[in-house]
This record gives sequence, C-alpha cells and structure tokens, in this order.
Amino acid sequence: MKACRSKGSIVFDVIIYIIMIFVLLVCLVPFLYMLAVSISEPKAIINNEVALIPVGINFEAYKQIFAYPNFFKAYGNTIFYTVVGTLIALIMTTLFAYPLSKKSLRGQKFFMKLVVFSMFFSGGLIPNYLLISSLNLTGTRFAMLVPFAINQFNLIILINFFKSIPNEIEEAALIDGLGYFGILRRIVVPLSKPALATIGLYTAVFFWNDWFNGLIYLNTDQFPVMLFLRNIVNGTSMLGDAAGSADKATIAISIKSAVIITSTLPIIILYPFLQKYFVKGLTIGSVKG
Amino acid sequence: MAIYKKQHLHKQDYIPKSSFRKHLTRYWQLYAMMILPLIYFIVFKYIPMFGNVLAFRRYRPGMGPFGVKWVGFRYFKMFMQDSAFWNAFGNTIILSLLNLLINFPIPIIFAILINEVRNVHFKKAVQTVSYMPRFISTVVVIAILGEILSPSSGLLNNFLQSTFGIEPIYFMNDAKYFRKLYILTDTWQYTGWTAIIYLAAITGINSDLFEAAKIDGANRLQQIFYVTIPSIMPTIMVLLILNVGRMLSLGFEKVLLMYTPSNSGVSDIIDTLVYRTGLANQNYSYATAIGLFSGIIGVILVSSSNAISKKLTDEGIY
Repeated sequence: MKACRSKGSIVFDVIIYIIMIFVLLVCLVPFLYMLAVSISEPKAIINNEVALIPVGINFEAYKQIFAYPNFFKAYGNTIFYTVVGTLIALIMTTLFAYPLSKKSLRGQKFFMKLVVFSMFFSGGLIPNYLLISSLNLTGTRFAMLVPFAINQFNLIILINFFKSIPNEIEEAALIDGLGYFGILRRIVVPLSKPALATIGLYTAVFFWNDWFNGLIYLNTDQFPVMLFLRNIVNGTSMLGDAAGSADKATIAISIKSAVIITSTLPIIILYPFLQKYFVKGLTIGSVKG
Repeated sequence: MAIYKKQHLHKQDYIPKSSFRKHLTRYWQLYAMMILPLIYFIVFKYIPMFGNVLAFRRYRPGMGPFGVKWVGFRYFKMFMQDSAFWNAFGNTIILSLLNLLINFPIPIIFAILINEVRNVHFKKAVQTVSYMPRFISTVVVIAILGEILSPSSGLLNNFLQSTFGIEPIYFMNDAKYFRKLYILTDTWQYTGWTAIIYLAAITGINSDLFEAAKIDGANRLQQIFYVTIPSIMPTIMVLLILNVGRMLSLGFEKVLLMYTPSNSGVSDIIDTLVYRTGLANQNYSYATAIGLFSGIIGVILVSSSNAISKKLTDEGIY
C-alpha cells in the first residue's frame, strides 16, 4: 500500500484536511462567538474586543434572563410542548404505522394512498388556520400539539421499520394467545427502539424549535422560548429595557446571546446520544421509502 | 386454534374474499388501532384540503371554514392582475432556482470529500459537527446571523473594518445581500445532513471497483471521477428530481424572519404574501386562492418529477 501513496496523494490528503478543518470551524464558530459574547465583560464588548474567546467572565446576562419571569415561563412552555407533543406523536404514529405495515390488512393500500397524498397536497396556511380557530383551539396549548400528532415522513420510516421485523416472532405470540395490542406493546415496540428513538428525536427537535404556530395561535403567556427569542431579536420584547443603564445596547447583545445559548443547549446536548440511531433511520426512510 | 394457526402460516395475501367476517374477527384489533389516527388524518389533513374551496367562496369572519357564497374564479383573477403577486412569484422562482443550483451540488461534493478522509476519528468528528446545524431552530440561525453581521458590534464588520478599513455594512437590511444570506444559511444548516444520503450510497459501492481502478493506475482524483461519481449517479438523479419537485416549498419561516421593509422587494415570496394578505390583513379567500395556486403548481412539480424519476431510475417516492 505504501507504494500507492505518491506525492499527489499526500497533497490530496492535505487539501482535504484543510477543507474539513474549514467546515469544522464554519459549523462551530457561530456558537463559540455567541458563547463568548454571552459571558464577556460589557466593556470588552463595547470596544469590540470579543471574538471567539470570552474577555473576562461576567454572568450578568444570564442573571438578567433568569430574573425575567417570562423567560422561565417560555422555557417551561417549550419543555411542555416538546415532552407532551413528542409523546402524543410517538403513540399516534405507532398506532397507525403498525396496522399499515401489514399487507394482508384490507384497505392497507388505500390508507397508504391517503397518507402519501396528504404529503403533497395540503390545506395550506389559511384553511388550516380557520380549522384550528373553528375548533376553538386558538389560545389553547392544544394548538401546538394536536395538529402535529402525525408527520407522514416519520410514519413511513416507522412502517418500513415494522415491515423489517420477522413475521415469525409475531406468529409465535399469536399462537400463544396474545392479541395485536399485546404484540405491539410487548414485542414490536421493544424491538423498534432505534426507529422510535429516531422519529422521537425528529419530533422533539420540531417541537423545541417551533415558533410560527405559537405566533399565530397562542397568547403571550403560552409562547414557546423560540418565539420569546424572536421577539427579543425583533425588539418587540421589553427585556432589553430591564438593563436600564448606559451600556444598555451592549447588555442587550449579551442577553440575546445568552438566550440563544440557553435555548439551543438542550438540543445540542441531546443529539450526540441519539446520533447513532438517526443516521440509520434517515437512510432507511429515504433510500428505501 | 388449528384454523388460527393455518391462516397465519399463509399470512400475506391469503385471505379468501368471502370471509370478511373472519378477517374482521382476527384483525379487529388492528382496525381499532387505526381509529384515532384516521380521525386525525380526516380532521387535520383532509378537512383543510376541502377548506381550499374558500378560494372560490366569499368568507365572512365567524362563518366557519367553508365560506358563505360561491364567487367562481373571482379571487384568482384578482391575484393574476396583482403586481404584488407577480413580484412574489418571481422572487420565489429566482430564490428556489438559485438555491437548487448552489445547495444541490455542495452536499455531494462534501460527501465525496469526507469519504476520502482516512482518519476514522477525525471523519466522525467532522460528521458529528456538520450535522449539528440541522438541529438548530431557524429563529436561532437568523438571530446568530444578525449578531455576527451586526454593523455596530458584529464579528464580520469588526474584522472588515480593522483589517481592510471597510465601513460597516448593514447586511441584514440591504436587499443586495438577502438572497446570498438566505442561500448561505441553507448551506450552513443542511450540507452535513443532506450528505448522509450520498455517504450511504458511497459506502455501498463495491470496493472491487476501486481496486480495479487502482491497478489500472488511477490516482485518487481519477477514482472519484471514474468510480465514485458514476456509482452514485442514480442517487444523485433521484434526489435532483425530487428537489426539483419540492422547489417551490422554500423555507417560509426563514424568509419571514429575514424580512425587513428595506429588503421586501426581493424577500417577498408566495408564502409570505399568503401570510400577509391572509392572516395580517384578513383577506382569507384571496390568500387561500394564492395558496391553492402555488399548492397545485407544487403537486404538478412533485408528481411529474416523480414520474420522470421512476422512468429513468426505477425509483420514486411513491
């Protein structure tokens, strides 16, 4: 093999490593910058001394947002929407995916068509909005949860996964007298942990990051944290004024950064643990699906 | 018990048509599972679809989602003569074409390059970090962008000023930069993620092909051009066609977040127009008509590109 490693090959390696290090930096620098700004001294920020390494240590911005009652409320709302929304979505998706994975079920093809058609044609913004308001869901937390109970893409990933479970296991359980509910709960679900973790992560990320539905359906005290952040960025939230000092603008910048960091951290912490699952899940869903 | 067993051993598709009752006694639990999801699909996916009739009916607030009186194509004629619509239509096409042209090839190149990294740990690290932006909310992405590009304190303007003496540029407010920023943030967010599919395809290439190329004296660049790229061409084609199909469904939320009065000339797309006329100005029927029009174009794009994909590569999404 050594003989193959010509000069050209080494140059090639060097170029690739340079590109990859560039990619690493491009992906990481924005977060490092936000982190640095959120914990630097106000003076250093005013003088534009902060780049990627924090200048001095100052947790004032974090103290400020933690002291702000609406931040905690919004954060709690987001946790609620994420946990409850993901649970509902996992249950509903599983309940539909399992019957649809059985080809011998009558109407299976019809139901599949129903699902696939709705992936490409939908009511659009206004009919959906009018539906939610005529169901009186506007201004309730259900508006953030119920309309997103099933995502068709996740459903298809799960159907494909259920199809790959060997039939023999289920047949043995049927002979032993277990019904389909029992099989689903005691055999299929435990065997499908990787797939459920994958779509669970997608769903959790969706609920954690959602803000637009909050904007059009909810009251202020039900806002998720992303909408809270958007309002700070737009200057429609009063948070910046809380500082009330000469370097208000500077502190507003640190506060924005602190909100960005605190609202993003949970996802960044969660995802490396689930990464091994979702790569598999994505390739199953897209290549075979 | 014996009958039970026998039927199960002949599982797939062996159920005589006459015995629907038997079928139901055996499978009722499966049908019971579907009740709730089916109600969900009817209420939240299909009723809004029928809600599109609003485009042909006049709506009065408080009248329920289907309007009050048929008006035919009145609202369609209205938006066809509306210059704001044609402006949004043009912006949508330009932005999505540019996005396709730039953000379609980049993940392919990235996947090919990362596949050439020989150190497994470094490769894993780059992959892990490059997926990460996919998990960040659009709100956060645009907020970070705003901070980095801020004219008074942003990293980039500071750098430009201290190194080249360039006066601060109002990137987020300048219509000139809107499309570039839209596309660049998409590159940042989705390159690593989209590359997963191509990487999976590259991993599936028979290694004999590379060995043969090496024996024939191909260097690594030649191996990429004569083995890797031709081998993943089917995957590239399927994804290209699907991307063409989904072209018009741009990231509406991102455009909404990047929208400022000074860049509205280029940043108003069909979806933001629907949002503005529908929800902000409460012209429900008019906005539904615009939404329905772009929805139908979308369906035509998806189904025709899927049909082409099936014909060319035997693969499609349905």
